[in-house]
Amino acid sequence: MFILENVSVSVGGRELLRGISLSLGRGDIFYILGPNGVGKSSLLKAVMGLPGYEVTAGRVVLDGVDLAGFSTYERAARGVALAFQVPPRLHGVRVGALLSHICKKTGCDAGEIAKAVEIEHLFDREVGKLSGGESKRVELATVLAQRPKVALIDEPDSGVDVESLSIVARGLKELAAGAGLIVVTHSAHIARYLAPTRVCVLYGGVFKKCGGQEVIDEVFAYGFSKLA
Amino acid sequence: MASPSWLEAVKERARRALDKPAAYGPDVDISVFRDGGPADEASVASVAEAVGVSPKAQAFYIQADNAYFRYLSRIPGVEVYRIEEFVDAHRDLARDYLWRLVPPDYDKFTAVAALRGVGGYVIRVKSGVKVESPILACLSIVRGGLQAPHNVVIVEEGAEAVVYTGCVIAPEAVGLHVGISEFYVMRNAKLKFIMVHSWNKAAHVRPRTGVYVEEGGEYVEYYANVASVKTLQTSPRIILKDGAKAHATSVVLGRGDAVIDIGTAAVLDGEGAGAELVTRAIATGSSSVTMRAVVEAYKPARGHVECSGLLMSDRARVVTIPQLSAFNNDAVLTHEASIGKLAEDEIYYLMAKGLTYEEAVSLLVRGFVTTDIHKYLPEQARRYVESLERQIVEKAL
Repeated sequence: MFILENVSVSVGGRELLRGISLSLGRGDIFYILGPNGVGKSSLLKAVMGLPGYEVTAGRVVLDGVDLAGFSTYERAARGVALAFQVPPRLHGVRVGALLSHICKKTGCDAGEIAKAVEIEHLFDREVGKLSGGESKRVELATVLAQRPKVALIDEPDSGVDVESLSIVARGLKELAAGAGLIVVTHSAHIARYLAPTRVCVLYGGVFKKCGGQEVIDEVFAYGFSKLA
Repeated sequence: MASPSWLEAVKERARRALDKPAAYGPDVDISVFRDGGPADEASVASVAEAVGVSPKAQAFYIQADNAYFRYLSRIPGVEVYRIEEFVDAHRDLARDYLWRLVPPDYDKFTAVAALRGVGGYVIRVKSGVKVESPILACLSIVRGGLQAPHNVVIVEEGAEAVVYTGCVIAPEAVGLHVGISEFYVMRNAKLKFIMVHSWNKAAHVRPRTGVYVEEGGEYVEYYANVASVKTLQTSPRIILKDGAKAHATSVVLGRGDAVIDIGTAAVLDGEGAGAELVTRAIATGSSSVTMRAVVEAYKPARGHVECSGLLMSDRARVVTIPQLSAFNNDAVLTHEASIGKLAEDEIYYLMAKGLTYEEAVSLLVRGFVTTDIHKYLPEQARRYVESLERQIVEKAL
């Protein structure tokens, strides 16, 4: 079980989010919707323990263990994985080398994972020189390779074409078979392929509204401003 | 046998340049380096192995200091000579190929090589012969002193060859290596040349290289400095005629207080010629690495220069000096350069993927030294380059 309990997040010393609570188990898909710049990615980065993103109040708990004080590596080793919206360039690092290194830690089969998200042909390509769709699929592959307990998926549907999106959705379904998913998105296109367990709208630094599929329908119909 | 008159003329030119300093790099007092003494077989085998050269190869040349020479070719159409033997056996041919691309009076180092140099190989791949297995060469300093071999590779029309050369020094030896290399890639021929340097922290190294690529020829070079060195300065010059291509990649590791000044110059002297010069430098400790790259275009041709430096220490220093000169308005020349330390966001990204800090740094350094040269090399050469990349990463960390 993964729990955020009344979490506040600061970025660069400025409080961005407050009172964020959620819980999910294996197979759950928790959507966080919100417009650009509202702090969705910051929440995921703070949960991952990345520098500059700080949980200033509340608790992040995985299987009963409070992750406060755990480094990014330790959080990953315990089963938290983050699919970055825009991965850094990783000058010269090839897709195959990246996947192999992760699989060496988790015992996964890089070839099988590559097949699942159709990136076998990208193994010799540089991670930082992929198209938007390719990059999303590779990013998802790295998370699949981690075999996480909870996967934080940042904007899987931004900058990808329809074909890539369906491949990404297939990969997320596979991921959800063994993990809980927190998926943040401003467009919610991915929700057409992947039904939510729960949905919350992040606006003004707090969860403004939570529910099920009907919240997504409402956002599609009226936009975020109606909820403000 | 007396030296031919043209060789005497070469020596005369060299004598006049004995005090001429190199254009770049720190000066070295050559007079303190005596000619190397004899070397025993076991020592030679051990240093040759360090750069992957074995007499079991189909064709090879092994030289230790100025006294031990073994060479042969079992490959039909491939000849391997010691240079003195070549000059004696093929006087006219030798005149056509020796000291043509590297002038003996270029600087004091070429001068000393012309006057005191001993040994070096001549590899000749006959017209149309395509050789898949690599031709190996090892030039080693076992007892120390001056080693100044003169190497010539001739790949005749339509021929193809892969040559590995390892230059290495015994850990306790103090030496100066001045390798003169002249490579001729004839019409529609291909030469893939891999050179690895494995010196020690007392070694001074001043290779001088010239490459001539005729119409439609292709020259691929991979150079790696995988160990310590005291000072290293080199600036190979590649001349390309119509439709000729060159891809030259150098990966250089600076350790300790090494002073390294490297750079390749490409002269695009043919229509449709193309050159891509890539340099990667990793500077650790208090080392200093200067990367120069020069492309001159005299005809409608394309050239690209890429210099990247990675600083692994607060005391290390990296300088890039790319220079593009176009003397034809249809030439297209580009360059990109970057210097920096490993990006923190990249390290954290990899840690978020479950890698430790050390594993993340190792993967990023490996990525840094991995270049596109792989796609120009046959499988066996690619594996060799990968093993060199691993060595560089291990030593950089």
